[in-house]
Amino acid sequence: MLAKCVGALCILSASLWWSNLQIAKLKARVRQLEAFRLGLRLLAAEVGYTATPLPRALKQVAKQLGVESVSAFFQAVCRNLQEEKFSDATGAWLAAIEAKREHLQLTANDWMILSRAAAGLGGLGRDDQLKQLAAAETQLAAQAAEAAAAFAGSEKMWRYLGILSGLAVVILLL
Amino acid sequence: MDKDWRQQIIPLLPPPLQKAVAALKPPIISRLEEMRLRAGRPLILETDAGENFLGLKGLVTEPFQAYLVTAEDLHHILLQMTEFSLYARDEELKRGYLALPGGHRAGFTGRVVLERGEVKLLRDFNSINIRIAREVKGAALGLLPHVYCATKKRVRHTLLVSPPQAGKTTMLRDLARLLSDGDPQSGRPGFKVAIVDERSEIAGCYQGKPQLDVGMRTDVLDGCPKAEGMMMLVRSMSPQVVVTDELGRPEDVRAVEEVVNTGASVLTTAHAYDVQELIRRPSLAYLLKNGLFQRVIMLSRRRGPGTIEKIYNGAELSQWLQTEERNVG
Repeated sequence: MLAKCVGALCILSASLWWSNLQIAKLKARVRQLEAFRLGLRLLAAEVGYTATPLPRALKQVAKQLGVESVSAFFQAVCRNLQEEKFSDATGAWLAAIEAKREHLQLTANDWMILSRAAAGLGGLGRDDQLKQLAAAETQLAAQAAEAAAAFAGSEKMWRYLGILSGLAVVILLL
Repeated sequence: MDKDWRQQIIPLLPPPLQKAVAALKPPIISRLEEMRLRAGRPLILETDAGENFLGLKGLVTEPFQAYLVTAEDLHHILLQMTEFSLYARDEELKRGYLALPGGHRAGFTGRVVLERGEVKLLRDFNSINIRIAREVKGAALGLLPHVYCATKKRVRHTLLVSPPQAGKTTMLRDLARLLSDGDPQSGRPGFKVAIVDERSEIAGCYQGKPQLDVGMRTDVLDGCPKAEGMMMLVRSMSPQVVVTDELGRPEDVRAVEEVVNTGASVLTTAHAYDVQELIRRPSLAYLLKNGLFQRVIMLSRRRGPGTIEKIYNGAELSQWLQTEERNVG
């Protein structure tokens, strides 16, 4: 009897943990998309107001972002440029995407938008560069809004799913 | 300085060219003036003795043996020079050049994009000319007694004239340095010198900092049009000497007159082979006829850059020009 109770508790804990993990991933996606939006806006400010060269601009942006995983992305792009492994900033940015893909909770669509943000990076005049960054930020804003809506709608669902699926397994096994 | 230019320029080049330039031998290292990279054409190194073709293994005698520069090479160099940030050097690129560390400059040609009749940007670059800055301290010592009046302890309004690449800017830079630093031993005071460096050629500013020695009492306004720059400097920096390069436009001439009215001395340059060519330019002819310049110094490359050909007394030149004008009239 005691063993059954302990087993039931373990099953319930596991299902709750799993449902909380799904909720955390959804929440993280929202935070990370917002952080990328902020990053692009900060980058645009570095480009537009002070015309800071890209390596320094990326370092500045990384310092100001509160989400560590996104900050690490901008640092990776900066490092790629400084280590001179790439002939242009687009290559450096895309390589950072490949390196950091596993560490972030973004969808394939999110990554596609971020990849497009790299087009012409550093190779355009100021006005065109700002337009390109603004366009990417606008697209990310749409993704972030969709992610926030998905999170708001799904949070309760995942919590109930966690409890109910755990209970269902316990009942089945009993 | 010779070793410095290689440290500053070589990292900007594509890897195959880095090795070729790093392997250059002493005579050419110290005499190199320009590195000419033109898409689809041989790489040429210009020295004061002439041109040399560079192959991947070293200097070659025939153009067909030289390294053929590619458009990708030019793109690589441009991105390196701008730290992957063309937007950060927009204004300079619009004017067709970039200032580099060490005071060197890169000139560009390509396709011009116009907006409302003005150059909006330069794109599809087809050539880069890397000009190696040569700071020659002491080059202007021979000019100093003609520019500085020891009895009145004042700098004379001076115009340096020469054809292209005859050392005008090198002399101008050294004069600025000598006048700014002064010489306590000989009793020559240091002057407050202000430079309007429209094309970053005099002080070689990079990120706002002069890369070349223009003297300890010198203020530099970098990348500013001459006329506006001269006015800004006289209003805010109380200069005793105003230095600018390549005078010619009517608004520059008006600004020079304003500077002279404030009591500051003017040191400047102009392109011309001789006085006759000089006075064919209306704005310069106006200044010369009115005797604004107290000294007009003709330079050439005859015995190397900065060869002093002739020194005119401004007042005598003015009288001669006015006489000539009356005779013609």
